Amino acid sequence: MDQQVDVVVVGGGSTGCGVVRDLARRGLDAVLVEKGNLTHGTTGRMHGLLHSGGRYAVSDQKSAKECIEENRVLRDIASHCVEETGGMFVKRPEDSEEYFQEKLEGCRACDIPVEVLDGEEARRREPYLARDVEKAIALPDGAVDPFRLCVSNAADAREHGARVETHAPVTDVLVEDGEIVGVEVEHETGPGKRVHREPGTTEEIRARHVINATGAWAGNVGEMAGVDVEVRPSKGVMTVMNTRQVDTVINRCRPKGDADIVVPHETACILGTTDEEVDDPEDYPEEEWEVDLMIETLSELVPALKDARTLRSFWGVRPLYEPPGTGTEDPTDITRDYFLLDHGERDDLPGMTTIVGGKLTTYRMMAESISDHVCDLLDHEATCDTADAPLPGSESEARMEELMDEFGIRSPVARRSGQRLGSRADDVLGEYDPNPIVCECEGVTRAEVQDAIGDAGSDLNAVRLRTRASMGNCQGGFCTHRIASELAQEYPEPVVRDAEDELYQERWKGQRHALWGRQLSQAMLNHLLHATTMNRDGDPAHLDTEVDFGAFDAGSPGGPAGADEGGESGTAAADGGRAADDAATDGGRAADDAATDGGRAVDAPTTDEGH
Amino acid sequence: MTRHTDDDTDGAGGERDDGREARASPGVPAAGRDEQPSIFVPDDGEPSEADASAERPATDGGVESATGGSDSTELDPDAYDPVDVFPGGDLDLREGADSCYKCTSCDTSCPVAEVDEEFPGPKFQGPEQWRLKRKDDHDIDESITSCSNCMRCDDACPSSVPLSQMHNEARGQFVEEQMEKLSVEYIRNRVLANYRTSARLASLFPRTASFAMNFGPVRWAMDKALGIPKERDFPEFATETFREWWKARGGAQVEDPDKRVAYFHGCYSNYNTPEVGKAMVRVYEHFGYEVMVPPQKCSGTPMFANGMLKDARRHAETNVESLIEAIGEGADVIASCTSCSMSLRQEYPELFDIHGIEDVSKHTYEALEYLRINEDLENELAGTQLADEQSFAYHAPCHARNQGLSRQAVETFRDVDGVTMEDVGDSCSGISGTYGWKSEKYEKSMKIGEEMFEHMEDAEGDVGMTECPTCAMQMEHGTGYEIKHPLQLLEETVAA
Amino acid sequence: MAIDSDVLVVGGGLAAITAAVSASREGADVRLVSHKASTLRQASGLIDALGYVPATEPATPLREGPPTAGRELDRDEWPDPEGPLADPFEAVDRLPETHPYRTLGADALREGLDLFDELAGDAYRGGHTDRNALLPTFGGSVKPTARYPAAAEAGLASDDRPALIVGFRSLTEYDARAFAGRLEAAGVPFDVAGAEVEFAEAFRADTKVTRLAKALDHDEAIDGVPAREALAKAVAPHLHDVVDESGGVDRVERVGFPAFLGDDRGDEVRAELADRLGADVFEIPMGPPSLPGLRLEDRLYDALDAEGVRFETGNPVVGIETESDGRVETVAVDRKGRETPYGADAFVLATGGLVGKGLDSDRDGVREPVFDLHVEQPADRYEWFVDDAFGDQPYARFGVRPDERGRPLDGDGEVQYANVFAAGGVVGGADAAREKSASGVSLATGIVAGRQAATEATQ
Repeated sequence: MDQQVDVVVVGGGSTGCGVVRDLARRGLDAVLVEKGNLTHGTTGRMHGLLHSGGRYAVSDQKSAKECIEENRVLRDIASHCVEETGGMFVKRPEDSEEYFQEKLEGCRACDIPVEVLDGEEARRREPYLARDVEKAIALPDGAVDPFRLCVSNAADAREHGARVETHAPVTDVLVEDGEIVGVEVEHETGPGKRVHREPGTTEEIRARHVINATGAWAGNVGEMAGVDVEVRPSKGVMTVMNTRQVDTVINRCRPKGDADIVVPHETACILGTTDEEVDDPEDYPEEEWEVDLMIETLSELVPALKDARTLRSFWGVRPLYEPPGTGTEDPTDITRDYFLLDHGERDDLPGMTTIVGGKLTTYRMMAESISDHVCDLLDHEATCDTADAPLPGSESEARMEELMDEFGIRSPVARRSGQRLGSRADDVLGEYDPNPIVCECEGVTRAEVQDAIGDAGSDLNAVRLRTRASMGNCQGGFCTHRIASELAQEYPEPVVRDAEDELYQERWKGQRHALWGRQLSQAMLNHLLHATTMNRDGDPAHLDTEVDFGAFDAGSPGGPAGADEGGESGTAAADGGRAADDAATDGGRAADDAATDGGRAVDAPTTDEGH
Repeated sequence: MTRHTDDDTDGAGGERDDGREARASPGVPAAGRDEQPSIFVPDDGEPSEADASAERPATDGGVESATGGSDSTELDPDAYDPVDVFPGGDLDLREGADSCYKCTSCDTSCPVAEVDEEFPGPKFQGPEQWRLKRKDDHDIDESITSCSNCMRCDDACPSSVPLSQMHNEARGQFVEEQMEKLSVEYIRNRVLANYRTSARLASLFPRTASFAMNFGPVRWAMDKALGIPKERDFPEFATETFREWWKARGGAQVEDPDKRVAYFHGCYSNYNTPEVGKAMVRVYEHFGYEVMVPPQKCSGTPMFANGMLKDARRHAETNVESLIEAIGEGADVIASCTSCSMSLRQEYPELFDIHGIEDVSKHTYEALEYLRINEDLENELAGTQLADEQSFAYHAPCHARNQGLSRQAVETFRDVDGVTMEDVGDSCSGISGTYGWKSEKYEKSMKIGEEMFEHMEDAEGDVGMTECPTCAMQMEHGTGYEIKHPLQLLEETVAA
Repeated sequence: MAIDSDVLVVGGGLAAITAAVSASREGADVRLVSHKASTLRQASGLIDALGYVPATEPATPLREGPPTAGRELDRDEWPDPEGPLADPFEAVDRLPETHPYRTLGADALREGLDLFDELAGDAYRGGHTDRNALLPTFGGSVKPTARYPAAAEAGLASDDRPALIVGFRSLTEYDARAFAGRLEAAGVPFDVAGAEVEFAEAFRADTKVTRLAKALDHDEAIDGVPAREALAKAVAPHLHDVVDESGGVDRVERVGFPAFLGDDRGDEVRAELADRLGADVFEIPMGPPSLPGLRLEDRLYDALDAEGVRFETGNPVVGIETESDGRVETVAVDRKGRETPYGADAFVLATGGLVGKGLDSDRDGVREPVFDLHVEQPADRYEWFVDDAFGDQPYARFGVRPDERGRPLDGDGEVQYANVFAAGGVVGGADAAREKSASGVSLATGIVAGRQAATEATQ
């Protein structure tokens, strides 16, 4: 059946999630459609920096001002998604003093609180900084978990009546008499697809207005509508370290360039990044030189990075946009500002607005302005409260002691869970007993995994992003099968198996870029565990050829499978055989006895054996 | 001065700790430097500690050598080591967290996890806890206090994660920051950790002490008040300590500036089993070594195990100071206790940055090991035979295992006439120094030991053998066997 | 002065022990030095010989041009492997030419397995036939293997008796229901059901399996009930869970547990459970921590002791001294900071692969750290892997390439040291994981290296 709603938002990244939340809170009937899981596109593939604005304080002060403003808002409404690490712009001897001063003045001009540190003080705060770092500017950069942020926005939107559809790619934009009236989506089938409607079916969602928030993919959606949106996707690498060499965000204080930032994120550090324009946001080379560049260049700031363990690397594409005719050559020169394209005004095709550019830190502000725009178009009177209303999970601090005492979780694990779940910690962790740890590297317990499954279904990558399970040093080697096993209560075996393979392959994909030293040893151990012991690659369950079980060893003569005599288990077989016959004839009273009176019925042979 | 055996040794620091009037008999370190009244005053109350560790953290990581790490790397930002630059900075164990690939070999080798479901195992205590912690997180899980510091996990890890070092650091942090300083447990642990103190006092009146400490009502009181299990017999205190004997015999009887060893007897062979020390001297003199007996304090092993790192550091400073002097005179350092040699070799340089500590580590050996390397023991023993046949049930101490010594006794004596050596397997004795001396740990300690006890009883011989005095204590406690040190057997064969 | 022996084996795993024993049986005086406890304790305890001949070419050719690892749109597909193989020996010729089995011959494998049977004694089964066995492992799939612990025998997949797979809610390694489903998907010739039961719940959720094994060994009381009885009670209600094709209820004749049924007294524990349940009991080989691996390690070290081989663990070999004629004279053992020379006439290198740290690597390349032997490898790091995790991974075949006597060759195919022999994981050319050949390679290379070293030393 088709549905008529006020607004359909295309794209489940930070912008889309922010918009659908805002619209829903303003009382509009909104639907969010996303082709993968939330943050599937660009949002899930960034270094997780919560900008203070410092990075733009010289080149783009408008963005810088927006950043510091939103930075304050997010600390407030999304406390469980944000770690207030603080940040530094550090100057090496070869970096320009003039630029250092410009940066300082820029920050002040944008009302970004700053503090100038000498080298010693900088190293006192961050002992891993290189000896020859001369000075630094300290400012309120932070780390944000983009996935948690999007999920909280989506959750809040749902609570306010919105509908969120993941794994529902837009297959067509509906245009009727010169007006966009909705979209057609396909509800995907297959493993790990969280589908709310009938899998494999298509659905027309008719809406009074369509918002194209697909970032780097905006051009594709524009095409379906027959309008031209020149997004200039630009790729950047992010390299993940196994531990935190620094606990504050470290920026290189120089004009621009690759490999100039280290962001402490959860248990890890993320090194970034490159900036290379690509043709296709779906398919571009992920190159060795990019990874090497991160390690080589950033170890000038933090020497320890040179020999530290790298877990993986991943790439993201920025949805850079510039008005036609600007013709900037170097993508790093393209503004990071965002643009709101009303296709009614722009292309004389009313009914759709595209939003491109921008950055995670200002997602809420972007959402607010586009929601204002939509409300005007639909003359809907409502004010925006997203800057003040805390996101689900951020209402109050998680209470560590209770997590530890009530739920018997060990302290660092409880701390981690507490930070991930925020105010939901008590409810979630109270759910399960026993509540074993499923992912040891990141300290994720069954309760958290089950909570995520309840939310994301059999899509283990979504479960991973919600919980961080399989994101630690073993990269899933010791837990993909455990996480998958958690599906078994709800899902049939083939789903469990496929979901497991999907997660394992995804984990492998990023590790390929860290395949030397300790991570290579890890990869080999994982390979031995999953191929040798679990035989995941040669499992008859998914080979085409039938196995002739009769051709294989059926046990040693006199063994359990053979006659009654034999080794100690042979004797057991004899007893077992008898018990079994009884069972067959008398409906298994023997077993029932065993069950009811603690197996006294079969105690006799035990004592006879006299061990 | 060639031998640290005469009066002036007291000068080495007799007044340092509390300035008490120090006057003691030759060869025996003065009262005052020995008796830390540590349990009666708050941790930082001692002037000595103020000097020793006010401006430094209890642990500050090893540096490359006596040349003092940070200076030597000053000019090279790449070789930059954050540890020794800022006093109070955490020991850098990120490397260890990086090296772990979760194979859990450490967990399978942990004797405590085997009997105590509350103990999450070395992998969690070490690399996992380290990785999950952030700069400002200071809550160490309490279960760290259940680690017995047997260090088997070090031996198990294929990736050389410094597990015991991580545990020592975490335990130290827990005790420093999270343990109630006036709790009975804290005081009890401190008493046990500073065994040397009680031992020294006790040995002033050995018979009374041996009686009193094992006298029923007293033990009951101890159990209740201090949590020291009444089932345990306190070790007998020798009527004449090793150092007293050493002084009485007039010190070394062989002099050879080119063949010198400095004997680190540790507390136990001094106060409780001087016969081991005597055997060491006789055997080494038989091989023509000049034996030196420098002033020394506790090796620190029991203190590490209880997270009393400041105590350990204080003792380490004296030990390094006097051992480095002996080394300067051409000696190698010999210990007859495998935990003492373990401590001097591995834990010292791992945990402390004291001038010369690396050199002490490099020059330290276990007594039998040293002879096997430097003397042709096999030939020596080929001819010999033991007067009356004896078969021994040998237990390799965990700390011997980590030094590659778990088979040395068996292999040394295997072919000696009249001697049968049976290795009772690689299980842990369960006492781990002070671990088994805590009421709440007693049962677990005995449960860990069970396998060893059984294998000992299965073994032919009714005499036990081991290099570790506390293992010996447990072996005796569990089987009632007499327990000997390989040096004693060596004395009866080659030096007889 | 150096510590001397005829043959010095460096390493402590299956290959090292095999080499040490075979060398000493050739009359050599053997010493074994290993840095750490062997990685046997990570292994499942199964002794694989050869279970598959995996594909070495992708179904669809890899994208042209320089490796970019960005090929997410066309992740290379790999054809099914040939197998599971019922006969490991006849397939040897179809392995790549550089495979150690090809270099040493199928007989080396045969002799290696014979030696293993002798050392492992009645603790292991499978020696009665050349055929592989198919055993369910904790992933829920069945895998081909040549030798298996007696404790696992009742679990053989070619046995048609109905089976129950037992899982525990507090153990996360597998879910028994999914496990049973996967066995059915594999087409096993028996009816099977999975049951998640409570028992381990009596312990903390993160209790180590070694703790559970100890509790069963000593039959400790759990909430007042002896552990073994408590376990039987937990399982008893599920003995009729199996439903056959005709939909009829089937009483199980065998019950599978995760491999923690006791350590020292495993036989006793299984026997008692079997009696209480009136069904055979078998252990399912698990990943680390693995008790079967631990038991095997103990067993093999006892055998080593019985052979009179001297061994020590705890200190690494860090360097070598060569003679003028290019033979290795001594290796340096680092005893906590002090290097001690160990001399021998012949050396066996069995330090393991990337996991055991017998191979070391950084961004520039892969090295063999002890003798600095030549390791075959693509120059470009991005050629070390393919995009499918279970594809033909070049890194999985890394290692030294020995001649037919087990002596590693240099880049030009010349013997690098006349008296150095290699065995086990440090030997390259096999993708032991996909072939299910890890133990077989260790046994085959171990027995050859040991013998040849002894010959070299005693001639």
